[in-house]
Amino acid sequence: MAEIAGVFAVSHTPVMTNMRDAPGPALRDAVVAEFERVGQEIDVVKPDAVVLVSDDHLHNFFLDNFPSFCIGIAPSYPSPLEGWLRVAKQVLPGDPALAAHLLAAVMDAGFDPAFSMELTLDHGMMTPLDLAGIAGRHPVVPILVNAVQPPFPAMRRCVALGRAIRGAIHHYSGAERVVVLATGGLSHDVGTPRMGELNETFDRTFLKHLEAGGPVAAADFAAEHVNTAGNGAEEVRNWLVAHGIADCAPFTTSYYEPIAAWYTGIGIGHWKLVS
Amino acid sequence: MSARNWVQDIPSQEAYALDKILFRVQHDRAEEVRFFADPEQYIGATNLSNEARTALASTDVGKLYQLGVNPYLLRAYCLQLRMPEPDYLAALRAVAEK
Repeated sequence: MAEIAGVFAVSHTPVMTNMRDAPGPALRDAVVAEFERVGQEIDVVKPDAVVLVSDDHLHNFFLDNFPSFCIGIAPSYPSPLEGWLRVAKQVLPGDPALAAHLLAAVMDAGFDPAFSMELTLDHGMMTPLDLAGIAGRHPVVPILVNAVQPPFPAMRRCVALGRAIRGAIHHYSGAERVVVLATGGLSHDVGTPRMGELNETFDRTFLKHLEAGGPVAAADFAAEHVNTAGNGAEEVRNWLVAHGIADCAPFTTSYYEPIAAWYTGIGIGHWKLVS
Repeated sequence: MSARNWVQDIPSQEAYALDKILFRVQHDRAEEVRFFADPEQYIGATNLSNEARTALASTDVGKLYQLGVNPYLLRAYCLQLRMPEPDYLAALRAVAEK
């Protein structure tokens, strides 16, 4: 049965690559070093697959048919989708067998995600992989959470889905080690009059709730306060899915800085897993 | 920060129509070519209200935001237009100052 060998969460924003120098060399280098460290920590466990939890920024999905959750079950994923993103075009290997197992298992557990056999991954997954230096190195299973167009899945529902994914990974016999990388948030606004404003209090409080562990506090805090933290903060749902996959264990924040020049509160960390 | 992330909890039909144009122009190469060959004619032929059509034709970023255009599609559209970042941000912030 597969072991969950690591669960990580990082912020993502395309300006990390497109406007890399905007925050100045000290902040830029500190963030890049953190991403590289995450990449090294993922590499060191030699995962058979990396489950990516992020959101589609209205590229694969549109308002004519928008899933709350979608599991990619393709053998490969072209990326990045955005022609303007300064990341080299490439094709990431998928793990369709693990993906199909996760899909069936969470449906048995009472969830109803969409599935896709053809996704092109956007900056939400590609920018962190690129910064971490691990793009294309490990087969991936993309799980997309709607965080860009209301109505959204409830915060607690995201934790619950994560717990179902956790059970599914543990019952999978086709791999030994699976790593999870959630991306998105923390506070930021995209395309609104608040763009460039951050909410450090929201970010630090959300992280403290994750650090305390448990299934409810972080989700309920996010549900109550996300409207004070910007439309990009809706992406904390991706972190909450990872929180569930980690069995709501305590989170360790390895880096946090509100970086206005990147329009985003940048958080990075991992869950202290209990075997 | 004020306490709302979204202009509309559910997209209005007009927001959907605007979103659909932006989505197509961003993702369908033929549609992109047709749009940029003659934006005025393209937009003039759409089934939008006068207010929405004028906002799109004049790239009134603040008005498009207020009409409920998805902010991610609006952001990508402005990148596609190569709108200078300070102009884009100023147009959005002007909405808050009104």
